[in-house]
Amino acid sequence: MTPLERFSAYAQGKPIDRLPCVPIVGNTAARVIGVRVSQFRGNGKLIAEAQVAAYRRFGYDVIRIFTDLYTQAEAMGAKVYYPDDETAYLGEPAIRSVERIGALRPADPWRDGHLPYHLEAMALAFQAVGAEVPVNGALTGPFTTASFLIGADKLARLMIKHPDAVHQLCEVAYQSALLYAEAILSTGCTPSLTDAMCSATVISPRQFKEFGFPYLKRLVDFIHSRRKAATLHICGKTHSIWEAMADTGADCISIDNAADLAAAKAAVGHRVRLMGNVPPSEIMLQSSPAQVRAAVRACVSKAWNNPKGYIIASGCSLPVETPFAHIDAMIDAVREIGWPVDPEILA
Amino acid sequence: MSANPESLYRALSDAVLGMEEDKTRQLATQAVEQGIDAYAAIEQGLVEGMNRAGKLFETEEYFIPELLLCSDAMYAGLDILRPHLKRAEDVQRPKIVIGVVEGDTHDIGKNLVKIMLEASGFEIIDLGRDIPPQRFVDEAVKADARIIAMSTLMTTTMDAMAEVIRLLQTGNLRNRFKVIVGGGPVSQSFADRIGADGYAAAAPGAVKLAKHLAGQPS
Repeated sequence: MTPLERFSAYAQGKPIDRLPCVPIVGNTAARVIGVRVSQFRGNGKLIAEAQVAAYRRFGYDVIRIFTDLYTQAEAMGAKVYYPDDETAYLGEPAIRSVERIGALRPADPWRDGHLPYHLEAMALAFQAVGAEVPVNGALTGPFTTASFLIGADKLARLMIKHPDAVHQLCEVAYQSALLYAEAILSTGCTPSLTDAMCSATVISPRQFKEFGFPYLKRLVDFIHSRRKAATLHICGKTHSIWEAMADTGADCISIDNAADLAAAKAAVGHRVRLMGNVPPSEIMLQSSPAQVRAAVRACVSKAWNNPKGYIIASGCSLPVETPFAHIDAMIDAVREIGWPVDPEILA
Repeated sequence: MSANPESLYRALSDAVLGMEEDKTRQLATQAVEQGIDAYAAIEQGLVEGMNRAGKLFETEEYFIPELLLCSDAMYAGLDILRPHLKRAEDVQRPKIVIGVVEGDTHDIGKNLVKIMLEASGFEIIDLGRDIPPQRFVDEAVKADARIIAMSTLMTTTMDAMAEVIRLLQTGNLRNRFKVIVGGGPVSQSFADRIGADGYAAAAPGAVKLAKHLAGQPS
């Protein structure tokens, strides 16, 4: 089965060969074609080539065009630092003071920063393999982009001292995200939402509902208006916001290894598909093929019977240096488990 | 307001816990004017308030934004009270060199650990973020620190922590410092593998760990 056939059959409750599996390959794709991570900068063709090669090498079920979380903030003025062969990181936020918020403008996805190159990568990857595998374009959530625009510690203080300013920032980040989502859809890809700073490791559930949720919901509504399914990833602790994540209307929520998959199934499994939970650092990067297999089986045994389905996935984007043998072990383990899942074999 | 020191300590503690920076400043000034012992006002007022905030963080009633505002209030009060400490009270705090490793600029977690360590009686030398391995070593030697504390949120930069330990070993300095690590992708097994002395998942745990390693009652 192709990944698209697999997802389609899985959604309709028809027979499948195995559960869907998504090791979230970001810059690890550079290793597949032997280039340095920094060569992706401003080179949509190379990003597409690497992502398609990685998909063909490993045989997983979703391609996600992603290099780092900062592309939208950068297109609005944040400074991003690009190491030679590692993932980019935030150098300086776009603004330093609340007074400058009014000067921020939504990014033009076809012109600003590196967004045009990412859109080029999405278009090329979709043309190459979009008929067989879902190709997603990473879309950073407005609250997280807001934190890159003014700085995370400043944003944290403003939430309590100056909530209106935070909404103003989130609104302009939302307008920017909406334009980018529209552009992603025009390439044939589907936007896939990540809102890292909304994690309950960082802000309270109440703060998430006030500053994260409304903007995410509007983006999910937009994606649905184009008849596409929406995936929402939030890192770290999320147990206290699973209900709210489902309330955004997202069809699938992606959770990391700080979250309890069995508890997520009990809480929201009847409303949303679950994905994730295989530890990206401790297991995928640092353990062994045998431990990867054991981690996959542990996740499947918790969530294979989730009412809305489960996608075996890493809890977050894989570290660049994740050994290929570990990614292979993840997918091999899913093939061995097969379908229908026999819980006695997992035990 | 009453000149009773106990009630002033309590008011300071409440003002820190309540994230009230201006009120903390007023109360600290009042303490100075009334000749209340600065050391006690810090320990039983400001630090007590910050530690109560840390407990609320552990039970998920406070989150990072609240802790940051509590710490703003604590530091505002410290700025006023510290110049009034008697000399003997302001020395002999064990020193910790802390920073985010090279290649990473995520420093909220590091800042929280720093705040809670400071509130627990350590003297903190904060190197900031994106710090090359050699600088951790040089600064720890210069300050004659007891502990080196490193953090990162990114898997790509974790190995810089191992590099610091290698530098300590090659410089025959490994026994002079305890090394503690933390951050999203870091785990106890990673800490063990690189030969660190300890790992904590969050700021309150880092305080217990540092106290233990510095041989202090927790």
